[in-house]
Amino acid sequence: MSEEHHITPLKTYLVVATALFFLTAVTVWASYIDLGSFNIVLALLIAGTKAGVVATFFMHLLWDDKKNATIFVGSLMFLSIFIIITLTDTEFRGAVNPEIKDPINKRAALYSTLPLTDDHGYPLDKENNHHEGDKDHH
Amino acid sequence: MSHDKSSPDFLYHHFYDVNQQYETSKLGMWAFILTEVLTFGGLFVAYTIYRAWNPEMFFNANLLLDVNKGLINTIVLIASSLTMALAIWAIQLNKRKLSLLMLFLTFVCALGFLGIKYLEYEHKFHLGQLPGEYYSYMGPEVVQEIHDQEKINHYIETNNIFFDKETNRLYTMNNPHIFFGIYFIMTGLHGLHVAIGMGLIAWLMVLTARGKLHARYYTHMEAVGIFWHLVDLIWIFLFPLFYLIG
Amino acid sequence: MGDTNQNYLTHPKGIMSWLLTLDHKRIGLMYLFGGLFFFFVGGLLALGMRAELAAPGNDFVSNDTYNSMYTLHGAIMIFLFIIPAIPGALGNILLPLMLGAKDVAFPRLNLFSFYLYSIGAIFFIYVLLSGGVDTGWTFYTPYSTTSNTNVMSTTMGIFIIGFSSILTGLNFIATVHKMRTPGLTWYKLPLFVWALYGTSLVQITATPVIAITMVLLMLERLLGIGIFDPAMGGDPVLFQHFFWFYSHPAVYIMILPAFGIISEIIPVHSRKKVWGYKFIAYSTLSIAFIGFLVWGHHMFTSGQSVLSQIVFSFITYFVGIPTGVKIFSWMLTMYKGQVSFTPPMLYALSFLFLFTIGGLTGIFLGAVALDIHLHDTYFVVAHFHYVMQGGTIVAFLGGLHHWWPKSFGTMYNQTIANIAAIGVFIAFNGTFFPQFLLGLRGMPRRYATYDPQFVEVHSYSTFWSGILGISIFIGVMNLLWSLRKSNKLDPGTNPWGALTMEWTHTSSPPHPHNFEEEPVLTHGPYDYDKVIVKPTFKK
Repeated sequence: MSEEHHITPLKTYLVVATALFFLTAVTVWASYIDLGSFNIVLALLIAGTKAGVVATFFMHLLWDDKKNATIFVGSLMFLSIFIIITLTDTEFRGAVNPEIKDPINKRAALYSTLPLTDDHGYPLDKENNHHEGDKDHH
Repeated sequence: MSHDKSSPDFLYHHFYDVNQQYETSKLGMWAFILTEVLTFGGLFVAYTIYRAWNPEMFFNANLLLDVNKGLINTIVLIASSLTMALAIWAIQLNKRKLSLLMLFLTFVCALGFLGIKYLEYEHKFHLGQLPGEYYSYMGPEVVQEIHDQEKINHYIETNNIFFDKETNRLYTMNNPHIFFGIYFIMTGLHGLHVAIGMGLIAWLMVLTARGKLHARYYTHMEAVGIFWHLVDLIWIFLFPLFYLIG
Repeated sequence: MGDTNQNYLTHPKGIMSWLLTLDHKRIGLMYLFGGLFFFFVGGLLALGMRAELAAPGNDFVSNDTYNSMYTLHGAIMIFLFIIPAIPGALGNILLPLMLGAKDVAFPRLNLFSFYLYSIGAIFFIYVLLSGGVDTGWTFYTPYSTTSNTNVMSTTMGIFIIGFSSILTGLNFIATVHKMRTPGLTWYKLPLFVWALYGTSLVQITATPVIAITMVLLMLERLLGIGIFDPAMGGDPVLFQHFFWFYSHPAVYIMILPAFGIISEIIPVHSRKKVWGYKFIAYSTLSIAFIGFLVWGHHMFTSGQSVLSQIVFSFITYFVGIPTGVKIFSWMLTMYKGQVSFTPPMLYALSFLFLFTIGGLTGIFLGAVALDIHLHDTYFVVAHFHYVMQGGTIVAFLGGLHHWWPKSFGTMYNQTIANIAAIGVFIAFNGTFFPQFLLGLRGMPRRYATYDPQFVEVHSYSTFWSGILGISIFIGVMNLLWSLRKSNKLDPGTNPWGALTMEWTHTSSPPHPHNFEEEPVLTHGPYDYDKVIVKPTFKK
């Protein structure tokens, strides 16, 4: 009967909301620090923590039938399958045929009035030797 | 069917008891959440692939988004999640008026979210930062758009802005319309969910005001609550992925 | 509780009581007739194509019309018939009965799901009448972004039907988890329920992705967002990933319920306890899961990375393991049983033969090197028809014959049904086996004309396709003819002597609320070694 449902104490909700606000501040702050590729990892870790907190407490998964939590975790698992297996294609395309590595149009027809540029906005027909060095960090 | 005579009016005939009905609805709602995660999931896959292919472009295009508006919206949505949770808490204790107030606050937050989203979209429409073929933003005001002087310096340093004399346009990125395409689809679909959630919350307010929901029967509110927290949960990911590409 | 002669077909009466019904059995019947109608339409398109292919040139239709015909044949058969037919029709009718429940978990959602199906069907009818669509049912970009046929309406139709499929799956999952009658534990469930459960898991997990893919495709056409269209900087291979992330699991949405039907028919008509109950149950779930890991084997020639080709090819072989477990379990169920050659059993035996061929040729196609030779040839066409028609549709027909007396309380002419079943089996092989040979010799699919060297095999295939069409038509007409008024069976009839709850605990056709009193479980679904139940068959 519904009278038996777990009633979460008010305090829990307030603590959870405070934690969420705090983590939001942390993620904004962290984005202004240059950590290289770790920036995205950190951002996703914080977002994942926030999402976990929302699901566990606000969505009551902690006190629910464990089937519901299984379904939710399952959805994330299938999403990871989708992302990871697709990446095994898109990230490894050039391994044998380097010419199929890049997308077909680095510059869509939309910008046909402009000369083709490299990733940094330099036109490809100009000398950019000084620029080759910093290709890898952004 | 012995329970027929004693069963409360909110029990549908094909369930044995109230608890079975409640648990079934919740399980159904979670199955629905799974489909929602996978629907947005397709878009997250597109995002991941294109960001992996065009890290520079994603970084540059992200600077055109307004972090402050994104941050305010994050705070508004988390607040609305809290009030939604409190609405359920209140109805569990049979505090109907408090529950109604909390639902109203949730509704107001949702409205605020969409209002800020509207301002953001309107600005982008104005500048031509639109998805796909409609993208027309290549103008020199790119630097003025950013208010943080440190960022401006960083931007000019890292981007080596190229000025095309013939067309008199400033050009910085390859295929930025893809970023804005994904941005508009993901935030648009999310915004659609917020709008649907507002409709559902309004419906809950009507039900609560009429006394249909109470401590023994609040399945609708629990289900809408789960939906609403999902909307919040998706935004928790959208915010850093679009606005905070460091 | 009320009049014992009441049944769901006659009570309540009136057209509105059908259109607004929340009764799962009535909704199932509406799905059944909707599905059969589109089976007929799709079948006519197939026969039209075979007629065109009887001779090498453009004899009856232009190339453009032919393009529309194979696109609509594929899309209608898959989205409007095979995917909804078994879960939507037989699943809806039987699932609550097998669980001892009064209805599915969410009856209103069930009706809503049927109406979504109908709206999607209207889109397809519009496409059919307004000139068709020529992209192939796979809608590969970039062609689908530029084709000026009805791509938008078709994708919209698929989008809507997708939601119908999701809601049915969601409903069934909640039903199986929560609506079982007390005492009916997981291992006492009929295997058809396990199959529907596995199917539903795939439906709710994979279908959202096709929905978002169709939205992205529509946006690509409207706005040129540049995700799938190479002219806008997008990647057409990514479209194929999105499409097959749904459409490969969709193959299991189509075949798993067929496995369930076969698991019901074989023990009943062999009078023997099913062999390896848990093996069959868990192989269903493992097929459903592995099905999510292998989509790239449709894309071996698309230009995806070598790494993913290896990964996909490797995982594809694993599908063979649980499938083999099932086939052997069914054969061992029949071993030393009293096999009777009733119409459902004939269909089940055809299924075993045809599906095994379909499955084994699938292993050929899972090998990258061989697939590059066979990709987009008639070998592939023959393979998936052996799986989809020889597998799913034959099982569907078998299930229809098995549960027809249950659904309608009438018995069809079994001799005619047997002749039709044998006709389907022979004509099916006559139609599709030659297509393996055509494919090996290099005949590509989706062409209205071909090199004269293929003419003998093509015309042979066309001849048998006509016989196949007639056999199926006779089989279905025989069923419908049994509905005439003078043909009523006694409500207590159990013509096959089955032990599952829908036969032993309720009348045929069932009571509007399924069971007149709460069903009490006295035996398992396949306890033919413990309980003696005689087939009863009286008018």
